[in-house]
Amino acid sequence: MVNFAWLDWFWLVAFILLMVFCGVLFYQLGKRSLADFFLAGRGLPWWLPAASVYATHSATDTPMWVSGVIYKYGLRGIWYTFFSAWCAISAFASTRIFRRSLAYTQAEWQTLRFSGLGAELLRGWIAGWQVFMNMFVLGWVGMAMGKLGHYLFNWPEWVGLVFFSSLCAIYVLAAGYWGVVMADFQQGIIAFSVIVIVSIWGIVAAGGPQQIIAKINSLGESWRLNPLAFSGWTTGDFPLAWFLTMMIIAIIGGFGMGTSIDWYPEAQRIQSARTVRDASYSIWAGSALIVIRNSLWAVAVLAFFSLYPHLQETAQYEMAWYRLGFEFLPVGLVGFFFAAIVAIHISTISTHLNLGASYATRDLYQHYFRPQASDKELVWVGRGATLILLLGSFLYGLMMKEITQWLIFALWIMTAGIWLPSILQVVWWRFNAWGYLTSWMANLGLSWLVVWVLPEFHLLPVLPDYLQFWIMMILGGMIYLPVTFLTKPEDMDRLVKYYVMSRPLGWWKPVREEAIKRGLLPGEEIRPAGGEL
Amino acid sequence: MKGIKTRWSPEEADLWTKEDYLTFVISPLIYFLLALGGIWCLLLRWYGWVVLGVSGLLIWLMIKIIDPKLKALSHDYEKKQKQFLEELEKIERWEN
Repeated sequence: MVNFAWLDWFWLVAFILLMVFCGVLFYQLGKRSLADFFLAGRGLPWWLPAASVYATHSATDTPMWVSGVIYKYGLRGIWYTFFSAWCAISAFASTRIFRRSLAYTQAEWQTLRFSGLGAELLRGWIAGWQVFMNMFVLGWVGMAMGKLGHYLFNWPEWVGLVFFSSLCAIYVLAAGYWGVVMADFQQGIIAFSVIVIVSIWGIVAAGGPQQIIAKINSLGESWRLNPLAFSGWTTGDFPLAWFLTMMIIAIIGGFGMGTSIDWYPEAQRIQSARTVRDASYSIWAGSALIVIRNSLWAVAVLAFFSLYPHLQETAQYEMAWYRLGFEFLPVGLVGFFFAAIVAIHISTISTHLNLGASYATRDLYQHYFRPQASDKELVWVGRGATLILLLGSFLYGLMMKEITQWLIFALWIMTAGIWLPSILQVVWWRFNAWGYLTSWMANLGLSWLVVWVLPEFHLLPVLPDYLQFWIMMILGGMIYLPVTFLTKPEDMDRLVKYYVMSRPLGWWKPVREEAIKRGLLPGEEIRPAGGEL
Repeated sequence: MKGIKTRWSPEEADLWTKEDYLTFVISPLIYFLLALGGIWCLLLRWYGWVVLGVSGLLIWLMIKIIDPKLKALSHDYEKKQKQFLEELEKIERWEN
């Protein structure tokens, strides 16, 4: 329980007013068109979506998660947080391709890349899944705020969940993505400043770097200070094989679209950038900030470990970074800290409210129900969808305790087995909608089998997660690759149109040659040496 | 910079070239070094500053390599974007 002085309350109220005002201010711009309500008119300079990438991926539960892995694994736990590195390649590969497609959403992109019934099924599936996922993330993150409110002020958990998400909804409903991105900009600055202040404050409170190192060495835990302290090639709790798998998933994943769950919010930021160049730099810079932020958190949590080295319960040590702030900051700054936590929180909430609504509006309502709807009507549908997502997230949030384990599993099965197909759909012309759709379906069955069913009947040992990944990838490939080859390639007209517009990377030779034959691209003479890619 | 193309025609910039592949290598390396350099600097290890310095240099190098190309392809693409957007709306309204 934390006691607030009047100065603390002042910070909190002032920041909330500033954040909501900043968002609502853009009401006039947000209502102009569908492109304004969901993409800020596709006209943002790179630093605005970059701030939004950073702010969105700093959620209330992020410091808890980072605290958990660093406290448990020492500095090598930093690699658990390194999945954001998919943006390193994506910024200059899939970002460039996606920005040129001009698709509002990843679901829409499916119907530009693929054609026919398969493409429509994919679009409907991804749109429906994204509406569900955004509601789920809203409930999940909202509940983390509920728990924090309970920990700090003894509020019932629903208060933190409902109150802060509702505040955020004011400006998302009013100004759509304009409100989201403008509020994210100032929330990102507040959040980053406070992360720096609290982390350094915590390090100093633990006696400074030398003292922290000395204390950890005296505990006989010096391995915690080495970010590259592996427990063996395949043995122990931190094998090199896991690290290499993680690096491959993160870095090579940048060639694909949808290889990371974070692709979907990033896709919206990519399309909101004013040029291809702005899109690339926004994704790269936003993620670079995330990498730096994680390093700050990691050392702060190490400082916490040196102060409290014997915590056993995950629920206790997951609060490490928050405890540094609430236990060591002076009166007056605690309110500033909590205001920043609110900023961290609502920047994530606002993104997912608007993003989920974009799939519901553009991909479900407009595409399947009212293709001729006016912009004005679509903006109102977007607002309605935002409201439904908000209310749905309250329900999800309150159900979380019972279903968390199942939903974590759902997240895993939605990403592990579609990693390679999500790359193939970008880089290989012959990969078709049926292959991609099959990979999603196969993944649902395989993940149950590999993770739970077969180990339960002792037909397969319980495998480490990196091995599960490779097994699911191979088994999945044995299903979707034959399906791809047994079904027809995509319609060449669609492929040529897509190629000319997006200029994808990879194996596209037959499509490229067809585009040249049709006079849509210049011939071979302008090609520099260097092969087909 | 020798071997690195700095003037691009729009058609050339549309192709995937060695400048892109170099960026694919340098960019993740920068993230990796930023993560390690950030940690080591906060722990006041001297090599942390070296690693951060190297990552700064690599950022400069990456921008030097890829920025002229991104500028050229962006400029050309923006000219065509209006027409592409009109086509996209036609597809959305099932008119295409």
